[in-house]
Amino acid sequence: MSADVDSGERRRGRILPREAGAVSLDLVIGVMAFLAALALGGVLIANRNAETWQAGLLGRLTVQILPQGEAPPENEVDAAVQVLKATPGVAYAGALSSAENLALVEPWLGRDAVVAVLPFPRLIDVRLAPGATPDMMTLEKRLKDAAPHAVLDDHRRWIVRLKAAANTVVLSALAILVLIAVGTAATVAFATRAGLAAHREIVELLHLMGARDGFIARAFEWHYFLAALIAAFCGAALAAAGLVAAGSLDQFGLSSVSFLPPLGLPVLDLAWLASIPAGAALIAWATARASVIAALHELY
Amino acid sequence: MVRFENVGMRYGAGPEVLRDVSFTLAPGSFTFLTGPSGAGKSSLLRLVFLAEKPSRGLISLFGCDLAMLRRADLPPLRRRVGVVFQDFRLLDHLSAFDNVVLPLRLQGRRPADYTRDVEELMSWVGLGDRLHFKPPTLSGGEQQRVAIARAIVARPDLLLADEPTGNVDPDMGDRLIRLFVELNRFGTTVMIATHDRALIESTPAREMRLVDGRLIEMRGPR
Repeated sequence: MSADVDSGERRRGRILPREAGAVSLDLVIGVMAFLAALALGGVLIANRNAETWQAGLLGRLTVQILPQGEAPPENEVDAAVQVLKATPGVAYAGALSSAENLALVEPWLGRDAVVAVLPFPRLIDVRLAPGATPDMMTLEKRLKDAAPHAVLDDHRRWIVRLKAAANTVVLSALAILVLIAVGTAATVAFATRAGLAAHREIVELLHLMGARDGFIARAFEWHYFLAALIAAFCGAALAAAGLVAAGSLDQFGLSSVSFLPPLGLPVLDLAWLASIPAGAALIAWATARASVIAALHELY
Repeated sequence: MVRFENVGMRYGAGPEVLRDVSFTLAPGSFTFLTGPSGAGKSSLLRLVFLAEKPSRGLISLFGCDLAMLRRADLPPLRRRVGVVFQDFRLLDHLSAFDNVVLPLRLQGRRPADYTRDVEELMSWVGLGDRLHFKPPTLSGGEQQRVAIARAIVARPDLLLADEPTGNVDPDMGDRLIRLFVELNRFGTTVMIATHDRALIESTPAREMRLVDGRLIEMRGPR
């Protein structure tokens, strides 16, 4: 828009009125932007957690000493720890205490007294030095020799499954995001076209008074660009606030479902949500321009 | 200024609403377009202010053959034509003043350069105390005067008016016709479609009469 028209717009009334029903259209755009932001947040959370899970499991081993009768034999636990500590590439090997064992199963079984007397295996947590790749076959054989009830778990099975699960979550969230993005785009385009239909008389009047197509198109495209930007910003901001609140639950001790991954997003990832109002505004801008130019070309 | 040669016009696949219309409006002329309702007066005006294309025939405006012009050439021609629409076509969300200055805004004129002149013009048409009223709060006659002020504010070369005195009392009708005559005296070519015999009799101007889409009579000064 030229500087002159801009100053005219400020000093004099806007050429386009806020049409009846604009509030409900803004509301629809806001709600769609909110849903799109939640879906995008879901993709980012799933992606980040998949990376965290993999990073947490890579470079770690677990050795279980299975119970013999009511409890695992303590001498086998010590022997296995010794074998592990003597293995090149192992940075740390330590048996979990009974309290630590119980803490692990607490989310699923609770703190009942009866849990404490269940025959749990003893777990040995093993961390590998960065880049170390010990021969698992040899290590397992040496462990079996020293502790016949030892079972070596290198988490490979879990990592593969976790990767598949995380990929499924990310892909599902992406599919939802695409659907919502298409829905949002269609809604914005529909809202813009509906608004234009209401302003058709103004388009024709300006045209007959000698306004060029570009002048009329600019009045409309900025009108809808701003309306969509504000509505979608409100929707996305609400979703961002929701994501921040969900991520802060831990700090207030409200995270009762402790086996779920954290829902929070770092501030940098939240910046991605800004793409939603920007996208909605661009769709509105392009739809308005295309619709006005098409409507004007129907006139002489 | 305006030349029609054997012009015919129809809307879509409907019957012809104008048939073999030929006439010339000389620069600085004043013409009444008369005829019964449905005779084609509004359609003829729509052809002149470039809202419609003729189905056949030749139209020349300001010396330009319209058939030879590209679409992008038309806006400058439209800006030289002021139109008073029968249904006024005011923008209800703008004040009377902002409606009147719309043609000046389209020309890119600065408010500081025109505000005083526009206020003077609006006082002349009896809207001096209605500058900031929005059209829905104005009477039919006041809306008509806003439409007239908007049509003449940019001092057009050609002024077209469709029943411009239809909603005003005789005194205001006289005042408005004097405004048109004054504008005409300064060089604007004027064409007014009207049923108002008193208005026609009171003004020494040419009369073109349309009946059933045909121009059947021209009389008066040329």
